[in-house]
Amino acid sequence: MSETSLSLRQRIWNPEARLAYVLLLPTVVFLAAFMFYPIIYVFVMSFFRTNKLSALTKFVGVKNFIGQFQDTEFWWAALRSLIWTAIGVSSKFLLGMLIAVLLNVKYRGRKVARMAFIIPWASSVPISALLWKLVYHPDFGLLNRTLSATGIWPNPPGGVGAPIPAFAASMWVDVWIGIPFFALVFLAGMQAIPPELYESAHMDGAGSWRSYFSITLPGLRELILISTLLSAIWTFNDFNVIYILTGAGPASTTNILITSVYIDAFVERRFDWAAVQSVITFVILSIVSVIYARFYFRQENA
Amino acid sequence: MRWQSRSRWIVVPLTLIILLFLLFPFFVMVSTMLKSGKDVYTVPPLWIPTRLMWSNFIDVWVQADLARYFLASLIVGLGATALNTLLSVPAAYAVARLRFPGRKFAMFLLLMIEMFSPVIVIISLFKVVASFHMLDTFGALIILDALFTVAFNTWMMNGYFKTIPKDIEEAALIDGCNRVQTMTQIMLPIAVPGLVTVMIYAFIFAWNEFLFALTMMSSKNKMPLTIALYNYVGQYNTQWQYLTMAAFLALIPVLVLFYVIEKRLVAGLAGGAVKG
Amino acid sequence: MKKSILFRLGVVILLFAPIVVWSAPKATFFWAGYDGLTEDFRASLESAFNAQSTDAQIQIVPVPWDSLQDKLNTAVAGGAPPDISVVGTRWILDYMSTDSVVEVAPYVSKATLDNINPAAMEAKVKGKLMGLPIAAGARILALNASITKEVPRTIEELERYAIRFNRPPQHYGLFMPGKEHTELTDFCYYFYGAGGNYFETLPDGSYGKCTVNSPAGVRALTFMAKLALKDKVVEDNFTTYDRIHGHPLFYAGKIGYVMIGAWVDSAMKQAGATFPVIYADIPSFAGQKQAGLIITDSVAFFKQGQNLQAAGKFVDFFYQKQWKGKFDQLIGFPPVTLDAAKDPFWNTPLYKALNHAALTARPWPLVDGFDTLNHETWVACEKVFQGQATPQEALDAAAAAVDKARGM
Repeated sequence: MSETSLSLRQRIWNPEARLAYVLLLPTVVFLAAFMFYPIIYVFVMSFFRTNKLSALTKFVGVKNFIGQFQDTEFWWAALRSLIWTAIGVSSKFLLGMLIAVLLNVKYRGRKVARMAFIIPWASSVPISALLWKLVYHPDFGLLNRTLSATGIWPNPPGGVGAPIPAFAASMWVDVWIGIPFFALVFLAGMQAIPPELYESAHMDGAGSWRSYFSITLPGLRELILISTLLSAIWTFNDFNVIYILTGAGPASTTNILITSVYIDAFVERRFDWAAVQSVITFVILSIVSVIYARFYFRQENA
Repeated sequence: MRWQSRSRWIVVPLTLIILLFLLFPFFVMVSTMLKSGKDVYTVPPLWIPTRLMWSNFIDVWVQADLARYFLASLIVGLGATALNTLLSVPAAYAVARLRFPGRKFAMFLLLMIEMFSPVIVIISLFKVVASFHMLDTFGALIILDALFTVAFNTWMMNGYFKTIPKDIEEAALIDGCNRVQTMTQIMLPIAVPGLVTVMIYAFIFAWNEFLFALTMMSSKNKMPLTIALYNYVGQYNTQWQYLTMAAFLALIPVLVLFYVIEKRLVAGLAGGAVKG
Repeated sequence: MKKSILFRLGVVILLFAPIVVWSAPKATFFWAGYDGLTEDFRASLESAFNAQSTDAQIQIVPVPWDSLQDKLNTAVAGGAPPDISVVGTRWILDYMSTDSVVEVAPYVSKATLDNINPAAMEAKVKGKLMGLPIAAGARILALNASITKEVPRTIEELERYAIRFNRPPQHYGLFMPGKEHTELTDFCYYFYGAGGNYFETLPDGSYGKCTVNSPAGVRALTFMAKLALKDKVVEDNFTTYDRIHGHPLFYAGKIGYVMIGAWVDSAMKQAGATFPVIYADIPSFAGQKQAGLIITDSVAFFKQGQNLQAAGKFVDFFYQKQWKGKFDQLIGFPPVTLDAAKDPFWNTPLYKALNHAALTARPWPLVDGFDTLNHETWVACEKVFQGQATPQEALDAAAAAVDKARGM
């Protein structure tokens, strides 16, 4: 049944579409009531000067954007955001996938293992970040103590005082928190793959690696696309972990776009700059989403 | 499956090693929550406290009146999960199975919501909630927590629904079921692992949400656990032993929920809905 | 499956019911979670006032200290601020610039105002009292007497003693936070000790350009870098430590000298520290006037509050000796009220030292855009500590950023 043979009016009023609109209505209503104004206001603020209460004062057109693009600190923050997101998402993906594969194998006590792997995700992000701050503490933290006492790393870095350790340390915490999510999504997805596929592959002589790559991965394709895209969006905007661990320091060397947004909005009280950075973030993430969509919808139409 | 039982010998030890590595901070948490103030600030730090301060539990539970915070978090968590499920499952079904103009736009719109961090919209959200006279109500947190997870959950359920072959549904439709019935009685039972994931995500998000709770709530009786925990971060001194004890207690409901629901993660097409 | 959906629907409906019920208006007070303050105290204060008052009711909202400024700013920007809130006095200028706060005098009784120690009235701006002092504390130098008993009279002497008593990794001579935290310390101690001023004062009395890059500022930052990087008398990896993660090193007995405040006594008790402590003024550079730092917090009244009169009545109730005195004893800060100060509780070496330091201490500059000053100066310090810039370069950048933000 080709869609283009019906007019738009006919497509809206056919029973299938009408049901779809009804099913979507509650979500749309809630989103419109609560999120419409805030999101529009972000766009509006980016074209105005704002006062300390985030009210608009003067229309300045694209001057805010030009000002941001002329600020080197902005480009550094954007670059760091991209690095942060790329490394973060790929690490979470790989480790999450590994754990999902391991947890998919049946053995006694698997239930306990499955419960255990969710712990990094089960606490609130600020609390997890604080806990890691204690773990990383050069004097009172057990990480350095254990590393040196067991001889694994006799002289570990003394905490998050320098730019690279600070960035790496916060990145690890972010990955740590995000692994269970990927593991859970993939684990759930693996349940939808019919076991018969594995059995017939095994009878054909395929080993575990081959069946993984030819059965599991393709079966998880949709979920992989969705989860990595959403994780990219969340990781890009992950504010708490960096800010609590490093305060975007030392000397702004771990400043990413989202911490810059916070500092501009709540410390410097320049809501216009924060809005501009949020809009630019939105554009970057939208471009990424559009690229993803091509992959995603390509398979749908096939 | 025979090949599975052989791989157990690699899988179990490997899983153990990874979990040990991953759960290191959790062990630190358990170690710290039974320490006295002196043990917390000892150099070099100890894994086993010199004195096991079981009284920390009483201090935290009684003095901070933790039970009340637990109740508030439970209300918000369960409410947000329920609302989120009610919103995202039908939306996902529509997007997965029905053709209508604006389908791709709707999916993109959901994604768009996720791209704005709460940090930039919090003041406007406050104004919106205030205008609905919903400041300091559970409803406000329930709705906001549900809305911020509806995008992922809709996409996730959409992906899950798509893995279910269309012929199962078509068979049901031919048998006389309408669309809604196929959604609830045919698709959902098969999609239980996906549904479980979605509900866990919504619950964990709501249970651990801090910014909205901090901004919107004023009555102590309505403040969730995340605020109670943050009270131990003082202006000049952090009380780590109480913070970790309270954080440990806050973990328990999540783990219990997961334990109860974990069984459903194993359901699948083998659940018997596939007709020969 | 259907039953559970109906059940869930029922739960959701039930949860929305409370929205319709709207409670009677109460005055709201954002209560900062000072270390040492108990939930018991807050709850009993709240119920005691509400019980004895017929026409005014208060809701005391407990807020973690770290999150107070964000929560308050969101509420103010969102148009629904509390009636009163604990604020850092330095925040008041910001609120005044957006006309968000009102004078205190119309709402509290004269008796309450007269009972306040005049020295604590930091929030008097152009003759108007814009915030009622609630806590005030000077900063002092604390010595671990089992490591050192020498009290330095100048900062140069402090350097010499720190070098003498520095024994890494057993213990270090001096503690210095190298990582940004909510306060501009320890830089401020050295800066005031060098006779520095954050801003130039214009003929009409207001603040002009930022002068953190004045010779005094450069001197202070150079000296700090010398202590940390050249003399190496501060804790290892000092750029990892902000104040809240670093001061416990002192409580653990690893530091000889630390610049600290009124909380040192209760913090040490909590950490089970047993070594003897000596308290003294934070010294200045040789030849400079003695000038420590004193910080006050205030209760501010917000213009858009709905029940300011009720809030005022609560403040009168709260500031009576039996409540305010207990409050002060819990948080450990010297009283700002005259009657509570007479309690023998305050007759200890720590409080004698605090009161002595308060005589010569200077407050933060009361200026619009203080948070920017705080942040930019910290960035400058961190740049120097990381070896990325010289003190003059870093402070010049900071001053420029502050001027840009203030439109100077």
